[in-house]
Amino acid sequence: MRSIFKVKNLTLFALLAATVFTTACTSKKATDGENTLTMSVSSEIKSLDSIALGDLYTNRAGSQIYEPLYTYHYLKRPLELIPALADGMPVMSKDGLTATIKIKKGLLFHDNEAFKDGKGREVVAEDFIYAWKRLVDPRNGSDGYWIFEGKIKGLNEWRDKVTKGEADYKTPIEGFTAIDSHTLQIKMIKPYYQLVYVLAMPYTAPTAIEAIDKYGKEYANNPVGTGPFMMKSWIRGNRLEMVRNPNWREELYPSEGTPEDQAKGFLADAGKKLPFVDKLVILEIVEDQTRWLNFMKGQIDFAGIPKDNYDTAIKDGKLSEEMTSKNIKLDIVEEPDLTYTAFNMEDPILGKNRYLRLAMGHAIDTETMIDKFYNRRAISAQSPIAPGIDGYDPNYVNPNKKFDLEKAKEYMKLAGYPDGKGLPEIEYSNTSSATSRQFVELFTQHMATIGIKIKVVTTSWPQFTEKLRKKKAQLWGIAWSGDYPDAQNFFQLLHSSSISPGPNAANYNSPEFDKLYDKALGMPPGPARTKVYLQMRDLAVKDAPWIFNTHRTTYTLDHEWVHNFKIPPISHDFVKYIRIDTAKRAEKKKDL
Amino acid sequence: MFRYLVRRVLYLIPILFGITLITFLLFHVVGGNPAAQAAGKYGNEAQIRALEIEMGLDKPLHLQYVDYLRQIVTFDFGRSWSTHQEISTMIMNGMGPSLSLTLPAFLLIIIISVSIALLLAHYRGGMLDKAVLIICLAGMSVSSLVYILYMQYWLAYKAGIFPISGWDPSWTGRWEYVALPILIFIILSIGGNVLFYRTVFLDEVLQDYVRTARAKGLGTVRILFKHVLRNALIPIITLVVLEMPLLILGSLLLESFFDIPGLGGLIYSAIQNSDFPVVKAMTFIGAGLYMIFQLISDLLYAVVDPKVQLR
Repeated sequence: MRSIFKVKNLTLFALLAATVFTTACTSKKATDGENTLTMSVSSEIKSLDSIALGDLYTNRAGSQIYEPLYTYHYLKRPLELIPALADGMPVMSKDGLTATIKIKKGLLFHDNEAFKDGKGREVVAEDFIYAWKRLVDPRNGSDGYWIFEGKIKGLNEWRDKVTKGEADYKTPIEGFTAIDSHTLQIKMIKPYYQLVYVLAMPYTAPTAIEAIDKYGKEYANNPVGTGPFMMKSWIRGNRLEMVRNPNWREELYPSEGTPEDQAKGFLADAGKKLPFVDKLVILEIVEDQTRWLNFMKGQIDFAGIPKDNYDTAIKDGKLSEEMTSKNIKLDIVEEPDLTYTAFNMEDPILGKNRYLRLAMGHAIDTETMIDKFYNRRAISAQSPIAPGIDGYDPNYVNPNKKFDLEKAKEYMKLAGYPDGKGLPEIEYSNTSSATSRQFVELFTQHMATIGIKIKVVTTSWPQFTEKLRKKKAQLWGIAWSGDYPDAQNFFQLLHSSSISPGPNAANYNSPEFDKLYDKALGMPPGPARTKVYLQMRDLAVKDAPWIFNTHRTTYTLDHEWVHNFKIPPISHDFVKYIRIDTAKRAEKKKDL
Repeated sequence: MFRYLVRRVLYLIPILFGITLITFLLFHVVGGNPAAQAAGKYGNEAQIRALEIEMGLDKPLHLQYVDYLRQIVTFDFGRSWSTHQEISTMIMNGMGPSLSLTLPAFLLIIIISVSIALLLAHYRGGMLDKAVLIICLAGMSVSSLVYILYMQYWLAYKAGIFPISGWDPSWTGRWEYVALPILIFIILSIGGNVLFYRTVFLDEVLQDYVRTARAKGLGTVRILFKHVLRNALIPIITLVVLEMPLLILGSLLLESFFDIPGLGGLIYSAIQNSDFPVVKAMTFIGAGLYMIFQLISDLLYAVVDPKVQLR
């Protein structure tokens, strides 16, 4: 056999291959010694405009740049509101219709070319009103409009006029007034005790008109806030870098917390000036394996546990030996959220037959669901009220929820469908994700045990939401994450004023429930209101427009060099509290 | 030739028109209501209506389609409904990373697979031929996801030869991050390419001109690379040129796993988000590129084969 390739041909290939491989092994990024926190998000960050911080990951990034009037105490549980840019809590009028809020003096916007000489100017009350008008302006397409809609005097009228071109940003809104440069007054149509919670959402952070004038629609890529970090660079879909804001107001690490915080060392930095890190890097990594491997290699300082890696990380509810040997720590947060299976109450079969709904509720084995789909990272939901929220009772047992096939079969008889006889196929609307498909398989099995046949119709998420909006779905599974720690945020999903196309996609319409809800809206937080919340809970349990499935729990791992890691639910401005031991990171990363 | 070119370009117009119409109608049938998506979880009828007006979705369908055609003609696709970025900027930003991954991989695949295929054609029927064929078939029967998951785990995480993921926009820094994806791309594609080229070359090596060349005393390398390769160029050009648009459009899986901000995931996330402006821009660009490269491929036939005349 003759050799047909000469040495020079082979050399060419070798050179090409060597080029690729040698570049791979060089120029490692040297950030280990820097005081940098690196975190990841599992979905793209869509915008850095404060009025577009609607989804979890976008909010998580934006919350480091923008600050609203209020925030949540980092350590205390249940969550407690504290002032951020506000100088104290709001002063409410006796009738509960007017809130007066003082703003801290000397607050500065980030240095930016939008300002004269590039120096951030002082924040004044008008900056909040301007931001809120932007939020409400339909031309900006913000999904945060709901926080003020129908609640603030003159706001809906202003929005209508803007739509018709009859008003602009100079046109005042009666309910938003700057009494002086550092005092805001908010006038409401009816008492709105959740106002203080929505004023803790980054949607409501102040906006500098100069920045909007300079960047226009590109403001989404050039954010100017007042927060502890300011944007340095952003490669969309890949990497967002922020640096410490040198002009940030003085804020100190909290000195109080829960009894366990002392033992865990969360109070060791009490009274120290924030933020601790000089730089923040947010990596947008959508693949679970990529995120996990980066964390295990120490490239990311903390991360959630992907479903496929759960058994590697957790054994019997505790950190596995592999994790403890690397001094990795575990942070568990009970999320104020709810997953549920909803019935279309306008459906002639499901909506009109309470016994049928109760039968289905008793046929679901929630514990198996938690085992199979959540790796035990969830608890069985008994009502719409999620953990950490006023009215949540961990000992409450929903009488219509317990997994009991005998009872379910009895209800099937009362429903007029013994063993499912005579009951037409029920259509379950589902989305195309793998988890949703697996979930509905289990649900179908559970229903089969009492003779109910389920027909699964799978669509894309936009088609799915369109079906709900048009009341065309019969039965479906969905989740709701609380926007603030108040049960009203969950109960509003059952109020008749928000039936489809609003968020009450179950189209539950109970005058009794509405009456209680409206009554609770006019009540300040306290035992009297909690009592009304419990009445609403009991009514929702009795009428069963939903099957309450789970409240999810978030497990987050962090490396030994990460300090003060106690991410609160709902709030995302936690980066400023985290301290990195850079020397330890540089040393330990070598072993990972 | 010129008349042929003009005729082909004119043919493109109705085809592109058809593509735009299908894209437009499909999106309106299966895309959900983008205004409802944008209104978020609290969206009510009034908000959705306001957003429909803002997005131009309140207009009759035919007028929306005319707007779409106008955007195509002016190459101004507006802004993404999801990220509010200029679509032209999104595409320009994504093209560089995608090409940094796909182009070197593609060139290496051609060089390697053509060389291996020539070798196999020469030693057809022998042990080497059979062994490589089995390896190619075995390699092709494994899911691409398996290669990505395992190679990322073993070569990047365990061995530390490559970074696990990432991107550096500088021209010198980016190669560190695309090296492993390029290697995987090559492994994923090489089996099919080798089999294709081998078949093409086998048709040629049995031709009389090869026997004549050998009789004249020409060396094997000269026969394979100068004569066989040249005569096999038409199917090679067809494959190579028609794959070019795919290079520009990137690789969804590789970009996603290695966190490369290319165009691969752009259409996917646009569909997920009902981001119609991005979907229609990318569909039009994809279809346009495919047709342009098809035309280039036809023109190249005439260049490489004197028997082909374009009329």
